[in-house]
Amino acid sequence: MVTNIQTQLLGRDVSFPVEESRFAYWLVVMRLIVGWWFLHAGLDKFLAWPFDASWFVGGAAAQTSLGPIVTLFADGALLSFTNVMVPLGQTLIGLGLIVGALTRLAAFFGAFLMTFFYFINGETGGWAHGVITGDLLGLLIFAMIATLGAGRVLGVDAYLAKTSFVKNHPRLRYFIG
Amino acid sequence: MSELTTIEKVGLYGGAALLLLGTVGMGLIEILLGAPHPVSGEGQVVHETLFSLSLRSYTILLGLLLMAAYGVSNLATKPPRDTSI
Repeated sequence: MVTNIQTQLLGRDVSFPVEESRFAYWLVVMRLIVGWWFLHAGLDKFLAWPFDASWFVGGAAAQTSLGPIVTLFADGALLSFTNVMVPLGQTLIGLGLIVGALTRLAAFFGAFLMTFFYFINGETGGWAHGVITGDLLGLLIFAMIATLGAGRVLGVDAYLAKTSFVKNHPRLRYFIG
Repeated sequence: MSELTTIEKVGLYGGAALLLLGTVGMGLIEILLGAPHPVSGEGQVVHETLFSLSLRSYTILLGLLLMAAYGVSNLATKPPRDTSI
């Protein structure tokens, strides 16, 4: 089956055909790989507990473009919060993507975390290998998963979407899918 | 995408334009007009850049923030049009 995507971009007709089976296949593959990437990163930190993010949010990060924000989390209660939320967030984002539950919400927070990783890793490393890094590509894949609603393909979101709760609260569709 | 408001166009097109400017645009100018980037013995590219690295960072960051602002404002102001889910 081929579907014609009818759309415009910059005022021009840019309609194009998409082969649906390959599209569905690719969404699931992307979701599983990125999901495992984050689930592994989160579980790894829990297995080696305690996790200390002070090296990341303090120190060299202070000189980066996100320094004024992340250094607020460099000590005290906010550092303790970060030490829990980074591994917990990574684990939940990874689980969400793998089972396809609250996929768009998970992908949003994945992109949010990747923004910090991208700029802090890149700038502290002097962009030694250029500004297109694996972190930026990860960020963009999260954005792609959120845009396309990849959780509906072989995912829990396909079932969540049919519940009366979601039908009665249409804005929830922004978090699932 | 044709029924975008002006504000939405700024978020989507402006964000993508800045993201592409910071990555592809400045990168292309660096290649064409900039100093060469020899690779050191450790495999690192030695930067001698036309554009400061912080300028590229801020350009990319502003692009990503505009795109995120579009997403958040879209969520806040209207329900999704995709009613299949």
